[in-house]
Amino acid sequence: MEVEGAKPESNPPKFTLPVDSEHKATEFRLFSVAAPHMRAFHLSWISFFSCFVSTFAAPPLLPIIRDNLNLTSTDIGNAGIAAVSGAVFARLAMGTACDLFGPRLASASLILLTTPAVYFTSIASSPVSFLLVRFFTGFSIATFVSTQFWMSSMFSAPVVGTANGVAGGWGNLGGGATQLIMPLVYELIRHSTGAVKFTAWRIAFFIPALFQTLSAFAVLIFGQDLPDGNFSRLQKSGDKAKDKFSNVFYHGVTNYRGWILALTYGYCFGVELAVDNIIAEYFYDRFNLKLHTAGIIAASFGLANIISRPGGGMLSDIVAKRFGMRGRLWTLWVVQTLGGVLCIILGRVGSLSGSIAVMIAFSLFVQAACGLTFGVVPFVSRRSLGVISGMTGGGGNVGAVVTQLIFFKGSRYSKEMGITLMGVMIICCTLPMCLIYFPQWGGMFCGPSSKKTEEDYYMSEWNPNEKEKGLHQASLKFADNSRSERGGRSKAAAIPTDESSPTQV
Amino acid sequence: MAARGLLLVSILVLSCFAETAFGAENIISFASLKKTLVVSASHKQGLLKAGEDKITVTWGLNQSFPAGTDSAYKTIKVKLCYAPISQVDRAWRKTKDNLAKDKTCQFKIVAKPYSSANQTFEWVIERDVPSATYFVRAYAFDANDHEVGYGQNTNAGKTTNLFEIQAITGRHVSLDIASVCFSAFSVVSLMGFFYAEKRKARKSQQ
Repeated sequence: MEVEGAKPESNPPKFTLPVDSEHKATEFRLFSVAAPHMRAFHLSWISFFSCFVSTFAAPPLLPIIRDNLNLTSTDIGNAGIAAVSGAVFARLAMGTACDLFGPRLASASLILLTTPAVYFTSIASSPVSFLLVRFFTGFSIATFVSTQFWMSSMFSAPVVGTANGVAGGWGNLGGGATQLIMPLVYELIRHSTGAVKFTAWRIAFFIPALFQTLSAFAVLIFGQDLPDGNFSRLQKSGDKAKDKFSNVFYHGVTNYRGWILALTYGYCFGVELAVDNIIAEYFYDRFNLKLHTAGIIAASFGLANIISRPGGGMLSDIVAKRFGMRGRLWTLWVVQTLGGVLCIILGRVGSLSGSIAVMIAFSLFVQAACGLTFGVVPFVSRRSLGVISGMTGGGGNVGAVVTQLIFFKGSRYSKEMGITLMGVMIICCTLPMCLIYFPQWGGMFCGPSSKKTEEDYYMSEWNPNEKEKGLHQASLKFADNSRSERGGRSKAAAIPTDESSPTQV
Repeated sequence: MAARGLLLVSILVLSCFAETAFGAENIISFASLKKTLVVSASHKQGLLKAGEDKITVTWGLNQSFPAGTDSAYKTIKVKLCYAPISQVDRAWRKTKDNLAKDKTCQFKIVAKPYSSANQTFEWVIERDVPSATYFVRAYAFDANDHEVGYGQNTNAGKTTNLFEIQAITGRHVSLDIASVCFSAFSVVSLMGFFYAEKRKARKSQQ
């Protein structure tokens, strides 16, 4: 199949997967490791997974750590908040770094720079040092933004929701897997070395730290920023324009949709983080379980991410085929609100099996909402994709901080009450989604404006000077490829584009 | 699909309520126990160190009680319990009247079959005991392993005869060194990668 339109490239690159005019893959093949698309996918989700494992490695071992370091409920609450607050600004910074330097360098740098915090957790000796190590370790989950940015750069509109959802979901899995891994590693260390409780947990922390280091190496050695190559090489050869930080940042923060998504993401992902922090202790204390058992139950909350978040992303793509962007928005609102309802119920249930069942249902809905959110994010901005991703991601962490501050710090509310009230807050903070409106596609309650096109929307991010220099070419291609967001009914009326005929060289 | 989800959720909720309705078990309340044992603990002055120092516990029946009080007593379990000051803001050490849910006494010092004579035990404080203020309590159990009496070395308000234990840190020099080395390695390797990339870029430009 010949390449559509004349392309000024000397060597047309060969790709294993079918690609569009931007060389983004139009298919998502999970079990392939073909460079660059699927390889980038596997590298990004594994490195993100390792960061999640490290950030939430402490909660399942808290029953031992709290006695070793003489922590009070307030100390534990503060450390939990610290763990997710660092990433608020780190995610925004990461978004900008991705726009400027590329996801490969940005994510690997962050991961290697935060690994010392995980190693130093082994030598924490007081509530203050515990809080500090959790704070700095928490910076690493800003790699979420690089994951989503990388996937949005490698995968085209029809599959971007799925790619983002699976990468994000399988990374988030770390928050659940760690609840299983850490107690297991701890038990193994105790049995094989006979170490005392208060030493065994310290040794256990070396495992997530090493895993994190190795995954960063893999990203640096095997990863690539864009289908055509790395940022630095493409910028030098002139194939990719180097953008200015101030412009990228400005167009990101002035887009109101980014702010609304930041708020709503705080009440699906933020809630997920808060629950990761408190759920093991909740089951251990309320139902008098063994550490190991509480860990398994708590793990199932995060483990649901295997299917729930990817499911949300896939659902977003499926709904978009028929109903376009409006379908994506509606589905997101419905799923997240139902998550809030289930959260309220979770706090009220008093039996162990009931709690587990409701918790699993709640996890499915809340995590699907996360996947659905990142079915919308790639379309909010093209020029400032990183900043918008960073804002939304950061908003997720703000939600986690606020939720833990209000409901799970100290002894003001019992954990059950906190969980119920959190559910109410989810429902309230999901309502602003009704206000999101894309002129070319519509919003939840309003249809599209017939006068606006995708090009109008994405070109509004560039001024005439920049257009003269040709800096807007990538956005133009993206606008073309995003026409599928109009939905099924308008496909017949759409201008035939590259998108409908994938290029395969 | 939403309707099915709602149906599933309501079935789950109803089943939970059904389970809690069958709750009521035999609850042993602390307030119902009589302080029939006399317990005393002796130890060195000042801060006690976990893993090193010893506590000598002595317990026996309070003779001022009528004969036959101890007829049901089969075993005595002596426990190390948290003083109120160490329970503040720590819900996992909370005192509850329902003994099945009470978390005051989390460490077992010794369990011995009951004898009417006074008994003594010397206990080396175990290394997993956290830093806190404690007192000693002994529970008398019947043949069904239910608490039927108790005694403690402090008063009812748990303010006298308390002692402090200092835990081990759990840290070792080898761990400290390993942490520092691995951290330095991570940062240095990152710089190494950057340097290698710059060199490759320079080479390809030549």
